[in-house]
Amino acid sequence: MGVSLRLERRMGAPLALRIAAPVLAVIAGLVAGGIVMALGGHDPIDAYISVWEGSLGSTDGLQSTLIKATPLVLTGLAVATALRVGLWNIGGEGQLIAGAIAATGTGLYATVLPAPLLLVAMILAGCVGGAAWAALAAIPRALIGLNEIIVTLFMNYIAILFMDYLIFGPWGDPKAFGFAYSRALPDGTSLPLLPGTGVHIGILLAVVVALGAWWLVERTPWGFSVRVAGGNPRAAEYLGLGMTRRLVVVLAISGAIAGLAGAIELTGVTSRLQEGISVNYGYSGVLIAFLARGRLLAVGVAAFLFAALVVGSYALQTTGVAQPIATIIQALIIVFLLAGDAVLAFRLRVTRSPLVSEVAAAGGRP
Amino acid sequence: MSFWVNSLSVGIVLGTPLAYAALGELIAERAGVMNLGVEGMMLMGAVVGFIVAVNTHSAVAGFAAAAAAGAALAFLHALMTIGLRVNQIVMGLTLTILGAGLSAYIGTGYSGRRPEVNISAIPIPGLSSLPVLGKVLFAHDVFAYAVPFLALAIWFLLYRTRLGLWLRAAGEQPGAADASGVPVFLIRYVAVIVGGALAGLAGAYFSVVYTQGWAEGMTNGRGWIAIALVIFGTWDPIWVLLGALLFGFVDGLNFELQGIGVPVSTHLLAMMPYVFTLVVLVATWTRMRHRHVGMPEALGLAYEREAR
Repeated sequence: MGVSLRLERRMGAPLALRIAAPVLAVIAGLVAGGIVMALGGHDPIDAYISVWEGSLGSTDGLQSTLIKATPLVLTGLAVATALRVGLWNIGGEGQLIAGAIAATGTGLYATVLPAPLLLVAMILAGCVGGAAWAALAAIPRALIGLNEIIVTLFMNYIAILFMDYLIFGPWGDPKAFGFAYSRALPDGTSLPLLPGTGVHIGILLAVVVALGAWWLVERTPWGFSVRVAGGNPRAAEYLGLGMTRRLVVVLAISGAIAGLAGAIELTGVTSRLQEGISVNYGYSGVLIAFLARGRLLAVGVAAFLFAALVVGSYALQTTGVAQPIATIIQALIIVFLLAGDAVLAFRLRVTRSPLVSEVAAAGGRP
Repeated sequence: MSFWVNSLSVGIVLGTPLAYAALGELIAERAGVMNLGVEGMMLMGAVVGFIVAVNTHSAVAGFAAAAAAGAALAFLHALMTIGLRVNQIVMGLTLTILGAGLSAYIGTGYSGRRPEVNISAIPIPGLSSLPVLGKVLFAHDVFAYAVPFLALAIWFLLYRTRLGLWLRAAGEQPGAADASGVPVFLIRYVAVIVGGALAGLAGAYFSVVYTQGWAEGMTNGRGWIAIALVIFGTWDPIWVLLGALLFGFVDGLNFELQGIGVPVSTHLLAMMPYVFTLVVLVATWTRMRHRHVGMPEALGLAYEREAR
């Protein structure tokens, strides 16, 4: 018998494998991250114990993880929502900052409003700021088909520089002596805390937005048309679904979600516009959306996991392991997930075909 | 006068790494593989080249290590996208984030240090004393001088050699190329890895030659500008080179304007290269969207022999 091996695509992997793949990818990513730490002369077991104690294994850590998970849920959702129409929103970072800028502007200048209303106005302004920044990036995509990855990405750098301009210039705190932050926001514009905790209510907002986005995309006729458009743009055009407007609207929604993250970070964590208001949340959001496979509800789980990694990695610094290890592990998890997907998408088919001589011996024609 | 001479001269210095990275990406894309990990590969090249240069006091060793680091990340991209047929966009973005994380991790403790190496400008005797042109064109280091030759060599390779024909075929019609005996997979692997090595060199140019220091995320989106340059240059090495020099000039203008103290915020001036890239991209794409001049037909698609 002649034996030949070939890879062929299979139509959907077994359910158990599809569930196991992300779990295995996370484990493989942690192991590989451990190898990176070991190569740097650190004990990975000790390191992971510190990560655990610094994040999920202590009350303080758990609270920090929830606070850190808030922007990550939102930026992950922003990316996943856009992915539903086949758009790559790599501009979460810029939209988050645009949201923070809009919220700060509202806080500094709309002071006629009483504090609780001002806070609400700031949050809404954050959404509008993020939406506008994203819509701006969607226009070249919708009108001339220019790849949105590059456009959204460049707008990150522009947003960061614009924020720098504001905090070093017109909005700068004159008492900051060249430090990079804006004037203080009016009293009463901080997000309230969840009763009995140190966690601001942003996480609740994030959960509500996640459910809302899920309902909008998965359960409404509009969401259905969007998903059709994402799955098969040509079919969408035949069905008369206006793609141009949908692309802009979906990217604007995506941007609004990222912008909300900016307003929440501003009112819940930093209380001033400042450099580092986003610690690569936009980029982590991309990885989170990949890990959740674009499923809106899975984004929450993935964001919580990544938040624990980041918060845990702050605790690591005392052991001498540099904080960027969290980013490395996140990226490695995705690499393993992608590799796992690839392995699941194909199956190695062993085909046995009779050799010419065998066919001849059996009296047949080859 | 000296303002423009300085801007043009700095423009060539800043255009040099852009050209290396963009020409590398061009090679990979002409073979059909889009690698959005240029920024990550440049950062890895920057940090590895810098560390090696600091510790060995050898620029050559630094650049060799940088090329190897870029190539290693590119190999991962090739393995995933060509071997395992993972989506090139997803993998490229992941590669950028991985490169940013890894470079920040291994570069901890190196910020503030300086490489004790000297890549000095080598003024070309006679030519460098020409007015204006001398300073702009003929007073640079060996990497800048090599750029036009690299672009010409790639042009020659692509359009005048059998290997180039194979490479273009792998990017345009991989099925047909494979059927006629072209080693499509091998060519794509090599193209991606060479592209990564060039991105690594570009990164090291920033850290070892230009700023002579390492800072986290120091390439600041230059890898993405390189990717945009390939589109802007319609996948042609000569146009990509010219584009890189133009963008280098815009970047240089920003520093020179800051230098002469124009009354505009440095942060707003620093936006120039990004805004310029966007405007030029929109203009280029508007012109070429109906006829995708130069864009390889199979760009971004994994080649599956079984689906031929």
